[in-house]
Amino acid sequence: MLHRLRVAVAGLVAALLLALLARLPLRWFLQRLGAAALFFALFALPLPWLLAGDTPDWAFGPIRLSWRGVEAALLITAKAISLVTLFLIVQATAPLETTFKAAHALHIPGLLVQLSLLTYRYVFVLADELRRLRIALRVRGYRNRASRHSYRTAGHVAGTLLVRGYERAERVGQAMRCRGFDGQFRSLDKFTTHPIDIVALLLLAASAVALVVWDRTF
Amino acid sequence: MSADFAIQVRDLTFSYSDGATALAGITFAIAAGESVGLVGPNGAGKTSLFLCLSGVLKPRAGLLQVGRLDPRDPAQRRLLPTQVGIVFQNSDDQLFNATVFDDVAFGPLNLELSPEEVRKRVADSLERVGMSGMEERVPFHLSGGEKRRIALAGILAMQPSILLLDEPSMYLDPRGRRELIQLLYTLGGTRMIASHDLEMILQTCDRVLLLDRGRLIADGPARTILADAMLMEAHGLEVPYSLRGTSAPER
Repeated sequence: MLHRLRVAVAGLVAALLLALLARLPLRWFLQRLGAAALFFALFALPLPWLLAGDTPDWAFGPIRLSWRGVEAALLITAKAISLVTLFLIVQATAPLETTFKAAHALHIPGLLVQLSLLTYRYVFVLADELRRLRIALRVRGYRNRASRHSYRTAGHVAGTLLVRGYERAERVGQAMRCRGFDGQFRSLDKFTTHPIDIVALLLLAASAVALVVWDRTF
Repeated sequence: MSADFAIQVRDLTFSYSDGATALAGITFAIAAGESVGLVGPNGAGKTSLFLCLSGVLKPRAGLLQVGRLDPRDPAQRRLLPTQVGIVFQNSDDQLFNATVFDDVAFGPLNLELSPEEVRKRVADSLERVGMSGMEERVPFHLSGGEKRRIALAGILAMQPSILLLDEPSMYLDPRGRRELIQLLYTLGGTRMIASHDLEMILQTCDRVLLLDRGRLIADGPARTILADAMLMEAHGLEVPYSLRGTSAPER
């Protein structure tokens, strides 16, 4: 949405301020940011080189850079860090299932919420199955190599997980029906809106709009 | 079919979609308040029988009455969860909510009870299984015994008159198993317990149904059937240690 570097940096500062307000633990935040940064580096780092072409703004031997490319790289980085920060704030300030239930209270379809909750519940179970499969492989001398045997084994493991996941889904579906599930998502959690929530929402919305307007006009 | 029995089954037949016959002409009746064990080798059809009784599987033939409801009729099947509750072998299949509270509340919420009633049922059920105070725990981090108890609490919260327990002592360590047996003593109502743990069956059930390859082989007092060495061995089981040395009836 934002095309200009100074606006993106302003957005980044705002996101970091929010993170400070949310009291995100620094080490936790930096660990996750680092993981995301590695991913974004793939896209951001090559830009100064790619946009240099035949007319670089700065050259030193074989290294050729363009300022436009540097600016584009910084823009992407600022936006990416802002996004990750905002996402981590949502993740850190409430348990994930509370966030899903809040979504339902805001009229997100119950089916989506139910699917998200079930995915969240069983992704750890699947991860545990994978862990046990890997132990079973190791105790029979299997080691990951770039060989046909390895690729075939990886395929078998993936297929086994898929089948086990499917069978478990059948059983969970039966268990849900046995307890009267009729397709409708129900939850007891009640969410109340306080005046401060409305103020916060308006402030955030206004800031976002202001950033976009600034980006487009000034 | 008489309305006096909690469970009545006549000539029940069920096959899976791949053609394999799971149940072949089963007939029995269980009175209200009876505690009945269901034993048999792997593949005998114990789980299939429970799934037919809870309305999950549709029988191919035969008559069925569970708590005065006919599971084959769609309208009555919807009311089944208030009459019969089934606790599965693998508690992970049954604890599918994010927290313990959400899971135990799942059944009462589906019954469209008021929020106060739902909370009360959750609190009462957790207390009955000795798990009060665990409401905010995540099912993934619980031990096998704790999961089993929470799964049972989720069923008890619906206040069914009939309980079907499929291999309840599986995955439990000796202490968990002991606590489970104690818990089973405190539960009232009609109970059917399917298990390979024949000692537990002896302790908790007066009557036993022996199933093998979808057929009902024997139906009688637990101590008599389980002490019959020839019968046990002919159907892939064995006489429990506590009954060995007792004279079995000649067959």
